[in-house]
Amino acid sequence: MSKKIDVLIIGAGPAGVAAGIGARREGAENVVVLERDWDLGGILQQCIHPGFGLRTFKEELTGPEYMHRFIEQAHEAGVEFRTNTMVFQIDRETNTVWTMNKERGIEALNPGAIVLTMGCRERPLGAIRIPGGRPAGIYTAGTAQRFVNMEGYMPGKRAVILGSGDIGLIMARRMIWEGATVEGVYEVMSWPGGLRRNIAQCLDDYGIPFHLKTTVTKIHGQDRLEGVTVAEVDDHMTPIKGTERFVECDTLLLAIGLIPENELSRMAGIEIHKVTGGPVVNDLLQTTNPAIFAAGNVVIVYDLVDNVSDEGLVAGANAAKYALGKIPSDVKRIPVRGGENVRLYSPQFVTGETDTTIFMRVTHPIEQPCRVFAEPGFYSQRLRYARPGEMNEVKIKAGQVKSAGDISEIVIDIQPV
Amino acid sequence: MDYDIVIIGSGITGASIARELSKYKLRIAVIDKASELPAGASRANSSMIHGGFDDKPGTVKAKFCVPGNKLWHKLKGELDVHINECGSYVCAFNDDETKHLEKLLEQGKTNGAPGVEIISGDKLREKEPNVSGEIVAALWSPEAAIINNFEAVNAMIESAEINGVKLFLETTATGLLVDGGKVRGVSTNRGEFLAPVVINAGGVHSGEIASWAGDTSFRIIPTKGEYFLLDRTTGGFIHSFLFSCPSKAGKGITVLQTAEGNLMSGPTATEQQDPEDRTTTPEGLAEVLKGARRLVPNFPVNMNITTFAGVRANTESGDFEIYALKSPRGFVNAAGIKSPGFTSSPAIAEYIAELLKEELADVITLTPNEKFMPERRNIPRFLYLDMDERRKLAENDPAYAQIVCRCETVTEGQVLEAIRRGARTITAVKMMTRAGTGRCQGGFCCPRVAEILSRELNIPLDEITRHGGESKLLVGKTKEFLLNKKGAAAHE
Ligand SMILES: Cc1cc2nc3c(=O)[nH]c(=O)nc-3n(C[C@H](O)[C@H](O)[C@H](O)COP(=O)(O)OP(=O)(O)OC[C@H]3O[C@@H](n4cnc5c(N)ncnc54)[C@H](O)[C@@H]3O)c2cc1C
Ligand SMILES: Cc1cc2nc3c(=O)[nH]c(=O)nc-3n(C[C@H](O)[C@H](O)[C@H](O)COP(=O)(O)OP(=O)(O)OC[C@H]3O[C@@H](n4cnc5c(N)ncnc54)[C@H](O)[C@@H]3O)c2cc1C
Repeated sequence: MSKKIDVLIIGAGPAGVAAGIGARREGAENVVVLERDWDLGGILQQCIHPGFGLRTFKEELTGPEYMHRFIEQAHEAGVEFRTNTMVFQIDRETNTVWTMNKERGIEALNPGAIVLTMGCRERPLGAIRIPGGRPAGIYTAGTAQRFVNMEGYMPGKRAVILGSGDIGLIMARRMIWEGATVEGVYEVMSWPGGLRRNIAQCLDDYGIPFHLKTTVTKIHGQDRLEGVTVAEVDDHMTPIKGTERFVECDTLLLAIGLIPENELSRMAGIEIHKVTGGPVVNDLLQTTNPAIFAAGNVVIVYDLVDNVSDEGLVAGANAAKYALGKIPSDVKRIPVRGGENVRLYSPQFVTGETDTTIFMRVTHPIEQPCRVFAEPGFYSQRLRYARPGEMNEVKIKAGQVKSAGDISEIVIDIQPV
Repeated sequence: MDYDIVIIGSGITGASIARELSKYKLRIAVIDKASELPAGASRANSSMIHGGFDDKPGTVKAKFCVPGNKLWHKLKGELDVHINECGSYVCAFNDDETKHLEKLLEQGKTNGAPGVEIISGDKLREKEPNVSGEIVAALWSPEAAIINNFEAVNAMIESAEINGVKLFLETTATGLLVDGGKVRGVSTNRGEFLAPVVINAGGVHSGEIASWAGDTSFRIIPTKGEYFLLDRTTGGFIHSFLFSCPSKAGKGITVLQTAEGNLMSGPTATEQQDPEDRTTTPEGLAEVLKGARRLVPNFPVNMNITTFAGVRANTESGDFEIYALKSPRGFVNAAGIKSPGFTSSPAIAEYIAELLKEELADVITLTPNEKFMPERRNIPRFLYLDMDERRKLAENDPAYAQIVCRCETVTEGQVLEAIRRGARTITAVKMMTRAGTGRCQGGFCCPRVAEILSRELNIPLDEITRHGGESKLLVGKTKEFLLNKKGAAAHE
């Protein structure tokens, strides 16, 4: 019999690696991180562009460099990693975690606590139901990124990019660097999906046209993609007749959104939030199953990896506390409610046991000075603007919640001033 | 190459005929222009094994549908294919439609469809709580079933191959070879396939192929049907197969749970010129959605994972065209096999064997093959195994402890077995293992399957295709690409 695992972490991206560190620092003896890929680092392995860790390390690192620093820390802290190990099932009654690995075969693990850090996946074409053919040459931007950055192959010579999520923007520039042409980036909304910084550095600097309120309405080609029809859309996102235009291309890259990867969470029977698509969590990053914690993009899609690492540390530490019997079962559960301009946010409950940061996104851009706040009177901060592509946050101290006494909810919102 | 019989087309019709004829001592070649199976209508259809009430008594379709249904229930075990024996309902929203149900009930009785009965709307809602509250009655057909059509075609062909049939993919028939009023074979892009008997199972191209033999008695009217396919988590939403009654608005959209548990809805029926046009259209998809919502008001279309279309080989007569020509002797049509063609195919195959015995005895002799093996085993389906079976599999072959497709839980072991059984493209692996059929539609597994194909077949990654022909996944190595481009620029 092998030693009992105190904290088992599923996924060795930035969130999972940090969770491992957090759990060991909190005193958990046996901390294991499982990763289905052959290497650690999650999505950051393929992000070979600089721009990571500005906040945490005060310097601009590439994705793999950033991860390397965390992985070193994790090794020093005594975290055990098992790569090429996929979790394919979690039983809801017993919290048994089923894993598979070529050497170890199929195993059942029964840890003291579990941390979900499976990250997210890209929204596929089917989700937006574009009519036409189904030729080769249509990839999510992340798949194309894997082909180019990790395998060294080109998915095509002439690309159109649908959606303006960050991966799409970064891949637009990468395609140019690799000698391909990019016909344009088309975004159905009237604002970009990704960070402004990426629009400037990846599109503007390379003269790649960026079309807002425009979408792809038809896919042409049977074997290999031959082109797409694009059209402008009205305020209801319906294509406007007469604005259709054929754009020749052999590749369509999709950057139309990310979806937290929660198949396992569903199997485990924990509640999934309708809007975030991730587990409902409290400020301890504990899900509706008290033994299961979650952090990173599996909970809510973050812009910056620094936030993901922070949340990973928190989830790991609390999972360790749980495994060591240090989290009372009767913690408070004060609901957080998003105001009229908030589209999504996490965590959704506050216990008051810890200082916490609530991350949120606005529904529409607010292009004027505004105020982000948490009521009753916990937090207020002025902002120059608020945009859906850029996350906002409020910070709440445990002491504030304790001294507020019996409150029925905490309201967060962003309002113009 | 010399054969006794060449079958053009490896859809469910050609595949079933090939397997049936492999019960005799014959040298059989099946040729198909596609790079993987199934390719034609047999890939994109409603996957219903019909109960047999829908076809006008006296038609060829009616003759084969009920026997075909019975045969599939038997073949399920022999061929190890997924068939969900869930039954079907035809839903009526008003008195006129209820009258239509009565007509179908009568037809069903005449055709010998077992157990068909009319039930109330409330009874239906007990079984299927998500159907419209406005449905007043339904025709229940207990023998109707839903098949995994990808598996079924591959199983049928594999079984034929086990019994000696040779399959030639990427082989396009281009003409018929005739000598003195007798069939001599077919010409193809890969040379001549010689045989005294040629069977035309060319689906939507069967009219054109028949014309090579001078038979212009029927014409194929390609008729497109479009569909939505939803995430597997939507499965329990509907448990069976729901038809609408045909109306002025259209032939009637269906809603069903596929054999694998996905919710699906379609098809439209739009006539077109091009037999190969399988594109979906905004109008078609809108029609499907409207029809789906009529039957199932909360149809969760936001869970859509892909849309697709299939093309029926409709005929002017509305019926199958199955017969041997007098001249040239040796040419047999299994043509215009529209719906319920999937259901009927095993019965059509048995009939073709009889036809050869009775009408073409001077050309070919059918001697029973005592070594015929009816059993064929599927590639293990990890998703459906219990933990002990999974463990055993993984202990014997570690490749079964490596996930390739995370949505459908397909292991590397399955992909390797598909390649061993002949898969050469991404789509072939998909058809044989379901890798890439899930919610991310290959986003995750496509690069991995491509790597395995490249490694196992020893071909460069940038030669791997999605579905043969020009459908290459990649256009070259990154560095080469830059160099070539620079070279070209320097040239200019
Ligand atoms: C293209 C791109 C560009 C980005 N650019 C920046 C940037 O410039 N600056 C910045 O700060 N941030 C950037 N980000 C964001 C940052 O990368 C993410 O926020 C971060 O990677 C999320 O970490 P995670 O650990 O939650 O998920 P991931 O990194 O996705 O890690 C999840 C891990 O879980 C594993 N896993 C999943 N399921 C299982 C299972 N069942 N069994 C075993 N293992 C499993 C996966 O293989 C993966 O390794 C970028 C992201 C992308 C995709
Ligand atoms: C939208 C739709 C819904 C349907 N629903 C149902 C249903 O629910 N139940 C049911 O029973 N039936 C249904 N059908 C009918 C059923 O799918 C068909 O009857 C059946 O698949 C026909 O099989 P086939 O082998 O005759 O044709 P196909 O499957 O089209 O096969 C013909 C093959 O011939 C090959 N070929 C053609 N020309 C050449 C050439 N020159 N050289 C080499 N190869 C060639 C093609 O590549 C193809 O693989 C439906 C059909 C459609 C389109």
